[in-house]
Amino acid sequence: MIRTLIQLAKGGLATPAELFPDLPEYSRGLPMVTDARCSGCGDCAEACPTSAIRIGAAGEVALDRGRCIACDACTGTCSTGTLAADRRTRVAALRREDLVLTNAPKRIADTPPPAPGPLRRSLHIREVSTGDNATDLEIGASTNPIFDGGRFGIHVVASPRHADALAVSGPVARAMREPLLRCYDAMADPRIVIAVGAAAISGVPWEGGYADANGVEAVLPANAFIPGSPPHPWYILHGLLLAMGHPAARG
Amino acid sequence: MSDESMPAIERKTYPIDHLANKLATGIGAGRRLGLMTARKSGDGDPLVLVALLIDLVTGGLRLIEAPMRPGDNTYSSVTARVPQAHWFERSIRDFFGLTPAGHPRLKSVLLHEAWPQGFYPLAATSPQAPLRDTQARAYDFLQVKGEGVYEIPVGPIHAGIIEPGHFRFSCLGETIQNLEIRLGYQHRGIEERLQRTPWRRIPPFAEAISGDTTVGNALAHALAIEQLTGVAVPPAAAALRAAALEIERIASHIGDLGGLAGDIGFLGPAALFARQRGRALGLGERLTGSRFQSAFIRPGGVTRPLSEEMRRSILADVIAFAADFDEARRLLTDEPGAVERMENVGVVRPSLARDFGLVGPAGRASGQGYDVRAALRQPPYDVLDWTPAGSETGDVLARAMIRIQEVATSFDLLHQLLSTPLVDFEIMTTLPDTLPANAVGAGVVEAWRGELIHLAITDANGGLLRYAVKDPSFNNWTGLAIAARLELVADFPLCNKSFGLSYSGNDL
Ligand code: SF4
Ligand code: SF4
Repeated sequence: MIRTLIQLAKGGLATPAELFPDLPEYSRGLPMVTDARCSGCGDCAEACPTSAIRIGAAGEVALDRGRCIACDACTGTCSTGTLAADRRTRVAALRREDLVLTNAPKRIADTPPPAPGPLRRSLHIREVSTGDNATDLEIGASTNPIFDGGRFGIHVVASPRHADALAVSGPVARAMREPLLRCYDAMADPRIVIAVGAAAISGVPWEGGYADANGVEAVLPANAFIPGSPPHPWYILHGLLLAMGHPAARG
Repeated sequence: MSDESMPAIERKTYPIDHLANKLATGIGAGRRLGLMTARKSGDGDPLVLVALLIDLVTGGLRLIEAPMRPGDNTYSSVTARVPQAHWFERSIRDFFGLTPAGHPRLKSVLLHEAWPQGFYPLAATSPQAPLRDTQARAYDFLQVKGEGVYEIPVGPIHAGIIEPGHFRFSCLGETIQNLEIRLGYQHRGIEERLQRTPWRRIPPFAEAISGDTTVGNALAHALAIEQLTGVAVPPAAAALRAAALEIERIASHIGDLGGLAGDIGFLGPAALFARQRGRALGLGERLTGSRFQSAFIRPGGVTRPLSEEMRRSILADVIAFAADFDEARRLLTDEPGAVERMENVGVVRPSLARDFGLVGPAGRASGQGYDVRAALRQPPYDVLDWTPAGSETGDVLARAMIRIQEVATSFDLLHQLLSTPLVDFEIMTTLPDTLPANAVGAGVVEAWRGELIHLAITDANGGLLRYAVKDPSFNNWTGLAIAARLELVADFPLCNKSFGLSYSGNDL
């Protein structure tokens, strides 16, 4: 007992003071679209295994991070620096379309971001895994002593009866459709659905096959989207705090 | 370190009636059944059964193929003589519609009630998402009968952050009489998808089969393609791949040890191991740029060189971490209460482990010495100083101790691998533009759960005719069912955690 306490104390405080720090420079993160002019060569779109990138004739780039499996095939091929590694960690969104990054000029009459849902200050989560176990591990890590979701009132609960949010990982293929719907039906209102990881958001890289592994939204509408494959625990906390309307999510 | 390309696979064709005999003889002569599946053949010809045998002494691979008789979808089951084949034959029936006559417990293994009858995705030319109102496949759980016997159905969704699967316990009082494990809930159609993906694009898909084994799957895929194309990997790349594989092993074993401590109710070590798992992921992130080490191993080599500065920093942390891990694990193994909780619980006897072909730490805890790294004499392991872990007792404690030993060994291997500078060496070999026709490549890897296999077979045009994946869990789920028998229901979580199996890799 004493030894255990000594060992625990020796580790010091595990939780870092800074919220949503950038990833270290040796880390790849997700790709992003920079201001550097795109030559329209199309190499990145050709290299992308999940068709996450569209290039227009005049060099308009649309990068859908909801389809990005972070395979690193695009940034290396881009000679103009238009696509580059993004080491920021506030990358989640409340609207699916906000995961699409472009180099288009900002629209002036941009629609305001949606108001966060009714669940504030605390969020109890029922996690349902449907075929992306790395994301499950990172959801687990977001509650560990380092990332410590508990300090924001985020808790993973054992029953849908106790849950405010249904967090789904994986592409929800045919055999998980029914269990997922039943879990959702067992939750009390108000309730939200959070798609965690690219597979949950769009089914990548398995979508469009005979197993109907096409993502959460083929089954249930989602209220928040956390990109990454798997998402870094900071990405996950960002998505959860966004859904809660927590000020830390805005940065 | 050798930069020889891997020896070719011996490939033999036999009449279907000789299959059981050939497999039984091979296994009697010191081989194991790596995987068994089926494949299509040329236009209109019958399907072909395929089995990969691995020689445990020489590490040699032999592919046995047996064409089905025209117009006949039945063959005689090999399971009665080769129990290791029991799930493989059920899977062949699920995906190809071939019936192993005389199989002792024939039912679906991955495609059950969510799927329609008569839908065999790997036998079809272009399988379509079948309609939902078609007649569903039937599935019957084994019934244990007798006074006072009752069932506990658990899952597919579980209480924690765990992958889905269904456990059906038949109990008498608090004792489990039988556990039937029904998986397949995450079936995503992976093999069919890989077969029709241009082969150059497969690597990130392979990594997504079971993200907790990103490195293992990337490596098994790379080895299969390299064997197909006859490409040799530069020694520095082989060393960096091994480093990534050992980091994945360390992170995963430590994570599961934390889970085990948590299930015992010993929360101090559980919290320490959770932090140490994060530290192991950090090692991988420094080596590869990603916590799960994705986009690092590719056919031909690795994608990222290791700078001298980074090598030194990783090595320094490996040395310090090994000592910290040893202190943390002692909290668990020096605590009589924790040890007693694991002792004599969930025993798998060596004879059963052998019959059912258990692999990885679970196999080694039950007297099966097989470790792919040693048995296949894979570079760079063939020149490193190490020995596989081993035990005979086969209980939860043995599986925990094997994992602890393997973490220590992995730290030691990392130390050896990273002790010399690796800069200025080539890390990637160019691959040919096309795959050879009518060829076969097998990637066999000691992933952290055990033997992981990717098997690629090409057609007459060099296209992928079959891409098969065998996760170690596909062998070991049966081990868990054996371990749970006649144990208390309350011991099940502990047994389960000690195996730490994959659902995604199993379900495909
Ligand atoms: S990193 Fe993402 S966007 Fe880039 S090629 Fe890979 S999947 Fe496509
Ligand atoms: S983003 Fe880069 S790689 Fe893609 S089209 Fe533009 S210049 Fe080419």
